[in-house]
Amino acid sequence: MGALSVYPVLLCYDLGLGELAFRFLMREQDALHYYSIIALFLLPSLAKNTYLSENALIPGSANPLFSTEDGIEANRFMKGIEAVVGDSIGGSGIDMANFIAQQIEDLGAEVCYHRFLPHSKHFQPLKFFTSTTNDMVIQPNSTDINFGINTIGIVRAPRGDGKEAIVLVTPYNSQRVQSNELLSLALGFSVFSLLSRAAWLSKDVVWLSADSQFGEYAAVSAWLNQYHNPVFLSHTVTLDTKIYGANHRYDGSSEKKGFKSFKRAGTMAAALIFKVGETRRHGDRDSVMMYAEASNGQMPNLDLLNVIHYLAVHRQGFRVNIAAFSSLLSSAWLRVIAEIFHTLGSVLRKINPDWKLDIMVPDYVEGTANLANSMYNQALGVPTGSHGAFRDYQVDAVSLEFLPTFHVKNENAKSLFLLRGGRLIEGVVRSVNNLLEKFHQSFFLYFLTAPSKFISVGVYMIPFALLLAPLPIVAAALADGRSMEKMVDLVDDSKADGSADILQSKSGSWKWLQAAKVLLVIQLWAVLVSLIPYYITQIPDCTPMQSALIWIMLSIIILIALYVMFGSPYSAGVEWKLLKATMITSISIGLGLMSIINFATAQLGALIVIPMSLFSRPLKASGMNFLPRAVLLASNVALAVLGFPPAMLLIMKGLSKGSWIVDIGDFWVWMEFLWEWSSATYLYIFLVHLPCWLLCINVLLHPCHQPGEAKMKQE
Amino acid sequence: MAIRHYWPTAAAAVGFRLVLVLFGGDLHLASRPEVSTPLTSLRRLAEGYWLKQASMSPYSGSMYHGSPLLLSVLGPLTNSRPDGHHAHVYCSLIFVAVDFLAAMLIRATGQKLQTARNRSLKSLDLTKALSNTVNISAGDVASLIYLWNPWAIVTCVGSCTSPIENLMVVIMIYGACSRLAPLAAFGYAMATHLSLYPAILIVPVILLLGYGPDAPPPKVFLLKGSSASKSDVPDNDKTIRLRGVQQFSWKPVLHFIFWLFIWTCYVLLLSSVVLNKVGGFHDMFEKTYGFILTVKDLSPNIGVLWYFFAEVFDFFRSFFLIVFNMNIIFMVLPLAIRLKHRPCFLAFVYTAIVAILKSYPSAGDSALYLGLLGLFANELAEMQFTFFLFFGYIGVSLLSPVMHNLWIWRGTGNANFYFATGLAYTCLQTVLIVESVSSMIKHDRKLRLLVTS
Repeated sequence: MGALSVYPVLLCYDLGLGELAFRFLMREQDALHYYSIIALFLLPSLAKNTYLSENALIPGSANPLFSTEDGIEANRFMKGIEAVVGDSIGGSGIDMANFIAQQIEDLGAEVCYHRFLPHSKHFQPLKFFTSTTNDMVIQPNSTDINFGINTIGIVRAPRGDGKEAIVLVTPYNSQRVQSNELLSLALGFSVFSLLSRAAWLSKDVVWLSADSQFGEYAAVSAWLNQYHNPVFLSHTVTLDTKIYGANHRYDGSSEKKGFKSFKRAGTMAAALIFKVGETRRHGDRDSVMMYAEASNGQMPNLDLLNVIHYLAVHRQGFRVNIAAFSSLLSSAWLRVIAEIFHTLGSVLRKINPDWKLDIMVPDYVEGTANLANSMYNQALGVPTGSHGAFRDYQVDAVSLEFLPTFHVKNENAKSLFLLRGGRLIEGVVRSVNNLLEKFHQSFFLYFLTAPSKFISVGVYMIPFALLLAPLPIVAAALADGRSMEKMVDLVDDSKADGSADILQSKSGSWKWLQAAKVLLVIQLWAVLVSLIPYYITQIPDCTPMQSALIWIMLSIIILIALYVMFGSPYSAGVEWKLLKATMITSISIGLGLMSIINFATAQLGALIVIPMSLFSRPLKASGMNFLPRAVLLASNVALAVLGFPPAMLLIMKGLSKGSWIVDIGDFWVWMEFLWEWSSATYLYIFLVHLPCWLLCINVLLHPCHQPGEAKMKQE
Repeated sequence: MAIRHYWPTAAAAVGFRLVLVLFGGDLHLASRPEVSTPLTSLRRLAEGYWLKQASMSPYSGSMYHGSPLLLSVLGPLTNSRPDGHHAHVYCSLIFVAVDFLAAMLIRATGQKLQTARNRSLKSLDLTKALSNTVNISAGDVASLIYLWNPWAIVTCVGSCTSPIENLMVVIMIYGACSRLAPLAAFGYAMATHLSLYPAILIVPVILLLGYGPDAPPPKVFLLKGSSASKSDVPDNDKTIRLRGVQQFSWKPVLHFIFWLFIWTCYVLLLSSVVLNKVGGFHDMFEKTYGFILTVKDLSPNIGVLWYFFAEVFDFFRSFFLIVFNMNIIFMVLPLAIRLKHRPCFLAFVYTAIVAILKSYPSAGDSALYLGLLGLFANELAEMQFTFFLFFGYIGVSLLSPVMHNLWIWRGTGNANFYFATGLAYTCLQTVLIVESVSSMIKHDRKLRLLVTS
């Protein structure tokens, strides 16, 4: 089969297709870069409307049962919890948890607590790739006083077999209680109380009121970790926790055995995190912000977003938003581009009515701002909320932030809001409840340009593919040791010369081994550099500035040590073309890999790395006219400066915040942020981008001796 | 030209393996589909051993599919579990030694090939003509490739029995190269017993024993002889040259067949002793050879057969089983005819073809043929596409775990993602075989042209 699979390739080559493609790519390699950028800007106009793929979801088919009485229930709950918060001084966390638990128990549902410790900072860049589910659960022991308490209520489905569950999460900060958070707790409680009476449930419902005093994500991920990793405690440990529980201020009701043990429902079908945000003064309608980006650009299944969008907009009259770069919304240049695309689109529309590229200018601008934010969040690889914790366990989850336009004291508006919010959540639960399988019908790989518009993987791959296409060809041409122009000619007459040159021993086919050695040394260096922070974090009381300086110093020392051990790149007389060829090949492998792990990182990274590598040429190289050479040199130097990660960071900071103060500490803080969230972007920067940059510098500073000269020197 | 710092480099490779085994912690390599297959997994071996200890057939259930001999050699080691190390640390230590031994045998084979090459070049008067090209000690290169190949390291550390299978193949080739019929027969009997596919290596082994190590084609010697007879060279010299053309000698071949018979009987006897009271030969052959030939386990691996047989309709299954198994046999005869003067290279080509087309391929198989490829460093100096192949192998070996992660753990990919890397990998190996064979043939043609000109 393997042998068979190559034949089509060889056949294509014989037919001259390879030759044609080769010629085209050689001629167009610079142009392709521009095409790809144009294609990137075209993306917002190529976005399609979302549609429901999974028929079982049938959102909005049943009348909502959530009534004004449930709203009254929510108000009662809110009054109660406000009283609890008012009564307790200082640590109100346990009292609040007790109150919520009492309320849940009164509904006849199961309840349990989950205690957890704040998440400590760890250097864990590879956690994403190793199986995340094997973490040891760290139980708070009696010496810790600073811990959070989640309260979990579980409704067992009357029609289910207990194998699947839907999770609702309402985060609240137990240390600094705010009225909007209490409102979201009340909303959660009222929906939960409705679901505890619902006869149609076929999946268990879990309501997690997450104590977000250490951050929402920490609370949810700690709970998920314990949910998925049962700990079989030995007898002594169980005893210990019992004593501990009694020592603390649990009142009589919580002393029951049921409260102690951690309770579980089935595998999670979907999770919905909702909270009520601060009141907005402007705007005509209450709106819902939707956050979906999980770690490393993973997204929940698009169907989940579709259901929420459909119910929120078409049933409950909310306005649904997604996060956008607000600076782009008002930028003039984007508006100009939008105008151009609109004009071009309408011309194309006249030619063929099926080409619907004439997107309206405001739509285009908003789409671009949304898309840029979507891409940025995916590329950063850091989840935008606690839904990220669910995605680590392959559970589709989304965060909703309700943004009411009324004041919290306005009772009428509040009860109306509770009614609509409750109906939305009930509708989503009802849809997910209908599912017979995991979410799988719709897309996992997409960008959002509007809450109801998406760009699927098949479309957004095109700009990236255009960027990447010339790389292997250029690498092959360079590795062959002939200049590119000759190469194109050579394809023509390669068939003519036949076996005549067999006698001429070329022996050049392994010359790249030296360049590969240089590449391997630099990759080794990059791996070591990416591991250094693990040791730096062990140093106590180190300011970011000091850490960054130690990091940079160690990196330079290691680089020099490696050059001394394995020989510097120039000592073996490697040709710069071969060096460049290996660099380009390693980049195409690295970008290809990264595009699978996190597409957005690869796309944004490619925009910098690819011109940097394609234009790189030794400063001393001759053979060009003055003007093109000067331009090339200038762009080389500019790209080399731009490509250095700290420099790039500084420029990004300057562009976004307008402050141009050089602070190396910032770089450390940024990188710390990335590795704590085990973002693959950290690995990309250090294992793909940094070696490429160093190789570029090596190519730029190449002495350009003739091979003969190098040999003479060696002798 | 010997390689500088050979011994330090080799020692560093062994040291690196030891560090990984002793201090690497549990790298979870044993659960990687690229590293361990149902046939070679040490975890399955431990299960088989446990069943045997419980007086049950080690082949009951569908866990163990290896040889009974491995059960009694490695089985006791899987039981003891030292603190602070991963489960199979003793076995891994044995595999480090096995890998080192294999590398040394490859080096010795390389030296034998080198002397044979120098002798035949000298008899053709080509030593000078070829002196300007690369002339490196192929044995050193090959053994270093084997020792430092990341796949060989991963296989060695990753708790699977591939290193032992590889060692047996290397023993066979070494024995045949140095015309030690008993050793070659032992390697052949063991390798075939362990994994069946080396059975097709009988052709290169018999050619090696009959004709001796690789030499330029006989035609070249005849050309040389005829051109020499025209000129006035002393008769004495001519006879020396004609001696370069080797006659097929039957004696070592008959020796080999005799010893093969003895070793096969011995292996079967030992197996029956191990399986005494817990199972019979029928069980053993069905669960080892039968399991290999009928591709029963369709869990993903780096090959292409699992996907195909997962997709194929049931009523076509037997037909395609025959097709895929015959595919290997089809290649044996044409290659043997074309490359009969270079039996060692023929053995390399066969191992590479087996690594592509076998039912449960792993990185260990590739480690073996890439090591053997180093033996022909001088002949393949003008091979094409080496740059492409090198980076292709790197790319595929990085892509494969990522695709697997995406499919199995993240759930955003599917089986096609992983299969695509398997397909790319197969294409790479095909290109490697095609290119190496064609450049070897080109090398022979070059020798002929050099002799006639």
